[in-house]
Amino acid sequence: MVGKAEPVNGSVKSGSNQSIPATMQSPLKKSDLIPNLSLKTLKLKTKQQELLIRVSILCLVYVLAFITRLFSVLRYESMIHEFDPYFNYRTTLFLTEKGFYEFWNWFDSESWYPLGRIIGGTLYPGLMVTAAIIYWLLRFLRFAIHIREVCVLTAPFFASNTTLVAYFFGKEVWDSGAGLVAAALIAICPGYISRSVAGSYDNEGVAIFALLLTFYLFVKAVNTGSLAWALASAFAYFYMVSAWGGYVFIINLIPLYVLVLLITGRYSMRLYVAYNSMYVLGMLLAMQIRFVGFQHVQSGEHMAAMGVFFLLQVFFFLDWVKHLLSDTKLFQAFLRITVTTAIGVGAIALGVGMASGYISPWTGRFYSLLDPTYAKDHIPIIASVSEHQPTAWSSFMFDFHILLFLFPAGLYFCFKRLSDATIFIVMYGLTSMYFAGVMVRLILVATPAVCLISAIAVSATIKNLTLVARAKSKVTQTGSVRGSSSSKGSSKPFQRNGAIALLLGAFYLLSKYATHCTWVTSEAYSSPSIVLAARGAHGNRVIFDDYREAYFWLRKNTPPDAKVMSWWDYGYQITAMGNRTVIVDNNTWNNTHIATVGRAMSSYEDEAYEIMRSLDVDYVLVVFGGVTGYSSDDINKFLWMVRIGGGVFPVIKEPDYLVNGEYRVDKGAAPKMLNCLMYKLSYYRFGELTTEYGKPPGYDRARGVEIGNKDIKLEYLEEAFTTSNWIVRIYKVKPPNNRW
Amino acid sequence: MRSKPETQSLTAATEPPSSTSMDPIFHLLRILPFGFLRPPKLRLKLPTLTLPSPMTVYALVLLTYFMVVSGIVYDVIVEPPGIGSTQDRATGSVRPVVFLPGRVNGQYIVEGLSSGFMFVLGGVGVVLMDLALDRNRTKSVKVSYATAGIASVVIAYMMSMLFIRIKIPAYLR
Repeated sequence: MVGKAEPVNGSVKSGSNQSIPATMQSPLKKSDLIPNLSLKTLKLKTKQQELLIRVSILCLVYVLAFITRLFSVLRYESMIHEFDPYFNYRTTLFLTEKGFYEFWNWFDSESWYPLGRIIGGTLYPGLMVTAAIIYWLLRFLRFAIHIREVCVLTAPFFASNTTLVAYFFGKEVWDSGAGLVAAALIAICPGYISRSVAGSYDNEGVAIFALLLTFYLFVKAVNTGSLAWALASAFAYFYMVSAWGGYVFIINLIPLYVLVLLITGRYSMRLYVAYNSMYVLGMLLAMQIRFVGFQHVQSGEHMAAMGVFFLLQVFFFLDWVKHLLSDTKLFQAFLRITVTTAIGVGAIALGVGMASGYISPWTGRFYSLLDPTYAKDHIPIIASVSEHQPTAWSSFMFDFHILLFLFPAGLYFCFKRLSDATIFIVMYGLTSMYFAGVMVRLILVATPAVCLISAIAVSATIKNLTLVARAKSKVTQTGSVRGSSSSKGSSKPFQRNGAIALLLGAFYLLSKYATHCTWVTSEAYSSPSIVLAARGAHGNRVIFDDYREAYFWLRKNTPPDAKVMSWWDYGYQITAMGNRTVIVDNNTWNNTHIATVGRAMSSYEDEAYEIMRSLDVDYVLVVFGGVTGYSSDDINKFLWMVRIGGGVFPVIKEPDYLVNGEYRVDKGAAPKMLNCLMYKLSYYRFGELTTEYGKPPGYDRARGVEIGNKDIKLEYLEEAFTTSNWIVRIYKVKPPNNRW
Repeated sequence: MRSKPETQSLTAATEPPSSTSMDPIFHLLRILPFGFLRPPKLRLKLPTLTLPSPMTVYALVLLTYFMVVSGIVYDVIVEPPGIGSTQDRATGSVRPVVFLPGRVNGQYIVEGLSSGFMFVLGGVGVVLMDLALDRNRTKSVKVSYATAGIASVVIAYMMSMLFIRIKIPAYLR
């Protein structure tokens, strides 16, 4: 070191030794350099260590949320699942090919023949626009990816983003520890995974992200009173409105929250600024979506928000008058008059609005959430969807596992430390849990609330336990009055050991949660529904790809303007993959049209032929599970066809198809059942087939009986195609006979 | 802002004597029925509405949570039997079946209620553990809370696992 300094300084050796500053010692020999760096610069301060831990946890959680949803992509292939996502995929394809203007003004004549569907005005465009933007961004960066890959992976990407929002939300409501736990819990919670696996290209995948973002920004606005956060939450609300019809939950929960704050005496200027900005701007933005239109001022479901808006103005006005007046008695009288007048005027306005019909009443879908028995009695289409059934305890357990224990504990912690933010999260949790109890599908909406509240419980409990575990033995003799209750001294190691044991127990429970979630994701929620898998005789996996086989046959072997009649479940898939016009599809917006198809399926062949000729039907598609034992086929859904058809056309009576109230397809079945179109189309030529060893030919494996009518002759239709496992059967409608 | 009768009455009655009221409905009632009717002298007090304490609300919330998580809506709509039954093939006697087999989203009433009770027990256990760490209690109370809490959580978790294993035989396999 000394040798090098000499020529720089150019002075005498003795002098140069003292004049070497400390900084000259660092840029010297490399071997001295590295130990200095590793010892001094890598020793971070505690704050930096904490930041590093937090960031690395969030990165790991982000990656975890993405990869846990990839089971079906790894097992099968990158394809779109289920039914609804196929419509979303088709519209996204249209958007990327034709552009936004064509998409927004699209009238589709390939579905609901002969009515057509105004797609531009009857869908929520958020999902498609999001996927299209990601696609165009990747294309701009010269990644040549097919739009299908983007669609398949949109939902896991947004699930990862949801974990980040959950972290910030947890930090806002409780502290950063709770935020981290919330992010980790929501990343793997099966309730959310069920609708956001890779391939499930559906509105909820994006909507839950928008929901949580709106709630987070609104709570932040209420906590800070800043206009910027309130406007940001309005834009997040706009994104939510564009993404999913469940935005009605937001526009009712937030006014309810404001009302609860007003009742508990927590009115403040922050709340006023936050709610007003969010409501006005949010409402104006929401009206830009054609499907929503003017519902925010016309529909009964949105009136609560407007009522609370006016109530807040009244509160503000009263506050201002109170500030001006110095006489409390005068103010009391004024208060009574104002409140009476305000409530009177509001009630009159609401009454006039509803009586004149300007404000429409609650629609059936949302009314059945408040009164669950309504759908069962009045609207069979809503009642028939399996996702709309009420929830049993095992569904809760499946989707939440130990979060069901932690939820009430978290509520306790929230009630112990009430603030504006915890009141919000409690209300969100309670209302969403009630709705989750009414309809299985809504467990998805409850999942973020349950994860957040459980995270509060976990974080608070673990904090308490670690405090006990890390407590240093202090000197207790000096002036400690409550020395007896603090119980230090002899029982200290016991407490420490107990706390450590409890910590290990907590980690054990959380690890069991992770195991459960991964098992559920892998076994229950990663099935594409369009490709079926079963275990063969020797334990090997057998794949049934019949659906896609049938749709591809339709695409290649039928004239381009052919019209296909099937039950509404398969409409979207037929249009997207088969590229043919359908009569009814999953949108179910026209009950009479669906009832016409239901009537055709349940009538005798000649009556059905009349209906099919009137609808210009060329092909009929039925799904049949008798050979494979597939239980979601059309024969099992047949009673719903009868009910829906009978709801509009009284000639179809459900008791005609039942025997002593029982639904049978074997010899003892009702004669109308044995000769209706659906029966004939499902079991045509099935009587000759032996499906199982030791059973007679014509043994239906899905119902477990031998069919009653084996000798089926079709007069007006002929068989066009049956897939390799007989799951999808397509029939051609014969043109009428030539006249003599 | 409202420019309505309130402001007019405000300006009109800036120095009211303390005995008369500004309320127009009060004046109307004073003239019309009570001009000739004499109300009896009752010693009634308007009940004062106070907000319940947070812990009261929490108890109600816990009760509601128990009902929802037991699947009460499912019970009301689908109306399953309280407990199922199968007929023993050999002897012909009717045996009760507690857990509805075969489906994840189906239950009998009793199985729903018992599972809901286990979930609430687990939650209450965690709450008891937190109460045990509160400084203002005697040591024996703290110890008993802690023991009860830990026992509740352990029992609730084990029973829930047992229930789900009975209901779905392929669970975690």
